Amino acid sequence: MATDTDKTDVLQGTLALMILKTLHTLGPLHGYGIARRIEQVSGDALHLNQGTLYPALVRLEQQGWVKPRWGASDNNRRAKFYSLTPRGERQLAAETDRWGRVAAVVERFLHPADDAS
Amino acid sequence: MTSVRVWLARIGELWRGRRLDQELDEELEHHLDRLTDDFLRGGMTRDDARRFARRELGGVLHTRELVRDRRGFPMIDAFRQDVRYAVRVLLRTRSFTLVAVLTLALGIGANAAIFSLVDAVMLRPLPYAAPDRLVSIWEARVKAGPANLSTRGTSFSGKADPGRMPVAPANFVEYRRDLQAFSGMAGVSGSSKNLTGSGSPERLIGEEVTHEYFDVLGTAPSSGRVFSAAEDRPDGHPVVVISDGLWRRRFGADPRMLAQIVSLDSNPYEVIGIMPAAFQPATGFGSTDAVDFWVPAAYPADLLANHGDHEIRVVARLKPGVSTEAARAELRAYTDRLATAYPQTNTGITADLRPLREDVIRDVRLSLMVLLVAVGLILLIACVNVANLLIIRAVSKRHEVAVRFALGASRRRVMSELLTQSAVLAALGGAAGLALGAWTQGLLVRVAPTSIPRLQSVGLDSHVFVFTALAALATVVFFGLVPAWQVGRARPIEAIKGRSRSVTDTGVLRWRSVLMVSEVALSTVLLVGAGLMIKSFLTLNGVGLGFMPDHVLALNIALPETRYKTADARLAFYDALAAHVALRPGVQSVAFANRLPLRGGWGSGVLIDGVPAATPSGYLDADFQAVNPGYFATLGIPLTRGRLLTANDRKDTEAVAVVSAEFSRAFLQGGDPIGRHFNRGTGLPLITIVGVVADVRRDGRAAALNPQVFLSAAQTTLYPVRLADFAVRTLGDPRSLAPAIQQDVWAIDKELPLTNVRTLDEILFQKVADRRFQTLLFVLFAALALMLAVVGIYGVVAYAVSQRTPEIGVRMALGANRGRILRWIVGQAIGLVTLGAVAGLAGAFALSRYVATLLFEVGPTNVPTYALAAVVLGVVALASAVLAGRGATKVDPVVALRCE
Repeated sequence: MATDTDKTDVLQGTLALMILKTLHTLGPLHGYGIARRIEQVSGDALHLNQGTLYPALVRLEQQGWVKPRWGASDNNRRAKFYSLTPRGERQLAAETDRWGRVAAVVERFLHPADDAS
Repeated sequence: MTSVRVWLARIGELWRGRRLDQELDEELEHHLDRLTDDFLRGGMTRDDARRFARRELGGVLHTRELVRDRRGFPMIDAFRQDVRYAVRVLLRTRSFTLVAVLTLALGIGANAAIFSLVDAVMLRPLPYAAPDRLVSIWEARVKAGPANLSTRGTSFSGKADPGRMPVAPANFVEYRRDLQAFSGMAGVSGSSKNLTGSGSPERLIGEEVTHEYFDVLGTAPSSGRVFSAAEDRPDGHPVVVISDGLWRRRFGADPRMLAQIVSLDSNPYEVIGIMPAAFQPATGFGSTDAVDFWVPAAYPADLLANHGDHEIRVVARLKPGVSTEAARAELRAYTDRLATAYPQTNTGITADLRPLREDVIRDVRLSLMVLLVAVGLILLIACVNVANLLIIRAVSKRHEVAVRFALGASRRRVMSELLTQSAVLAALGGAAGLALGAWTQGLLVRVAPTSIPRLQSVGLDSHVFVFTALAALATVVFFGLVPAWQVGRARPIEAIKGRSRSVTDTGVLRWRSVLMVSEVALSTVLLVGAGLMIKSFLTLNGVGLGFMPDHVLALNIALPETRYKTADARLAFYDALAAHVALRPGVQSVAFANRLPLRGGWGSGVLIDGVPAATPSGYLDADFQAVNPGYFATLGIPLTRGRLLTANDRKDTEAVAVVSAEFSRAFLQGGDPIGRHFNRGTGLPLITIVGVVADVRRDGRAAALNPQVFLSAAQTTLYPVRLADFAVRTLGDPRSLAPAIQQDVWAIDKELPLTNVRTLDEILFQKVADRRFQTLLFVLFAALALMLAVVGIYGVVAYAVSQRTPEIGVRMALGANRGRILRWIVGQAIGLVTLGAVAGLAGAFALSRYVATLLFEVGPTNVPTYALAAVVLGVVALASAVLAGRGATKVDPVVALRCE
């Protein structure tokens, strides 16, 4: 049980960013939609099972970054739609920025030769 | 910070748990459906699509767990779950639960009751403004000079303060004037006066106080005012402050009470104030008599001139920032100066102080502490018993627990489950204990001696609740941890493999042995305590009084000085009353005296001519009483030599006295006292001894055997005290004569109240009330402990038998007979009991010095008592072991071996 929690925690940062970005791009979406979108964008490299996705959504909700609302999905079934809150927008901007910087640093670290030439 | 938001959100989710669970299920279902649809579109059959979708998404249950972990507080959820589980388990095993809860309730209830007593008497602050700043001051005679006096402010011993005396008013006024440590200081002494006027005359208890009194205590009157300094002088205007109780009872809460004149001892007093009902008089602790009036002390000049006349109590308030120690130092230094200034009276006199609250309880502190410890032992025994029960259960569940471990349950989780069970038990036990405590508390207050101060304020309050909660918590720690730890050690493989029970659980047996030994030891300590108390009580009751207290009614008639100015006038009143009362049917004889036995008295020096006294003063000390001729018959004091006092011993005849046997033993080396002469001091009349009576313990059984001297009340020039007590010996119930005596008194003088109307038996009963109370409680505690020990020993032996059934079967198959099996089983238990008893006796021995001062002429290490306690415990333990061991003899070898 404990190890599961650790795994999701590691994933947490990047997964949260992906979810926020998805909602930012596509607007309010249910869990299934979010999962499909992430799979598509990652080119099927990422398969999210429910045990990863839903705890992350709960956390985002608790942080106040997303807001759930019950509504009708495309085949007219009741589904829980998540939408980005203003706080979530700000968090996304901040995270995107931070991620970019981290990525750049890691990139430079992994390929120092390119930099030198 | 966002984490705060998360916490808030989680707290919010605590109450929505069920709804969120449902929503999540719906959400997950939706997700699954959509994915299934995707696969269907990909050409799968419905069943396959569903199965693939499931596999893709992972277990729904698992997801639910993970989400729940994020939501709310999983620890609380787990706890809730544990509690629910614990309650289910406890309900399933009702008899176990009942025994455990009852055991705990007894332990906790007894503790709650005793604690509420201790709390009310010892812990709660006194009902005064800033009560911690109030101190009590007394004076003391030191034997070896002031330098040797130890500080005993916080001494643990009961009747502390050797040589303690009241303060001399002459010293008090100097303390009040000069000492810098105090912001105020007041003198108090008890008083009683006859209230006459409207209605029947009444004897009131009151206080004579200096004018600072109310100020020092910090209580203002509910109406009117208190004394001024000008009124606190011998020539001051006579004023009185009355109690709320008196105002309502006697004056019908008259709103125009102030400025009215009331008659006290036939003197007019102006009522200037009424104290609130809640006011606690400084002398009222440890007394059930209501204090109804306060008059100015107005110390007369001759009293203030005599530094050796110790009469009053002193309460004082420390200045802010001044410590008790600093105040004591100043007071001590000052008494040294007084000793220099007044060497005749003040040499060897010192003064001491301690916080008023501690002073009020100084005599009961020790016995309450002892009771608290004793009742704490009961709780320990209860805990041990419940721990035993829990271990049995835990062991029987070992297999189940091992399987759960094997399936990956965490040790912490399983242990917390067991601890929760203990906590639920403790909570139930605590609640039941509180109820039991509330109930026993009422009983306790009713049987408690009235000499315990502040008893009326005993009640269930937040302190008692907190104490009970803590006691319950302590029990969880005590009895819950061991079984939880035992189970936590279970090794899955062995437990699953070793299904056979032929291997004795040595670890468990060892633990249970430890518990059994400690239980026996604790019970032994209490048994010894109870034994010492009983022995002390019996010893005390076996002491001869020297008089017969049965069928004697005694009462007090205070003759006010204003109307009975001379001793002869008072004698005439009592003679007339005695003549009247003697004619009443049922009266055998009539006595009057300055004081009757058990009701106080008077002591005086004795100077026997021809016998040089060994004391520094040259005097011998004896108890004195001035009595009428009927006194000896009324009290049943037998004459051994010479003659008794008669009606012929009058003022104009030879001064005579009757003495007790102890008189001749103590003063005349056993020589014949008849015909010898003595006086009470140089220049005082010589008195001839004419008779010897048996020894009398005037102040009760616990008091020392003092030489007694009986003077003739008719020879009024021989004694300085006033006649005040009256008694009749009756054929039937002495109480029934009270109205008749009252009529006879009022026939002579309508303004005299009768007070302190009690039979001597009642007084005797009251005298030993605190000892009886202690003894009773100790016996109850010991009985409770013994009962719990029986349950415990039975449990241990029965468990051992059940564990060894196969072994017993083998032994029986090999030819051991039933008697031998029983001896074998019981023998093992007896070993443990012996060990426990020895430990208990040692513990009792170590603790015994604390009860020493509570005992009457019984050493705290009284060997027969220890032996008896050990024997009682041994017999009871043996009986319960045999009872439990008989199960072993019923084992059918065939069945036992088939178990294997």
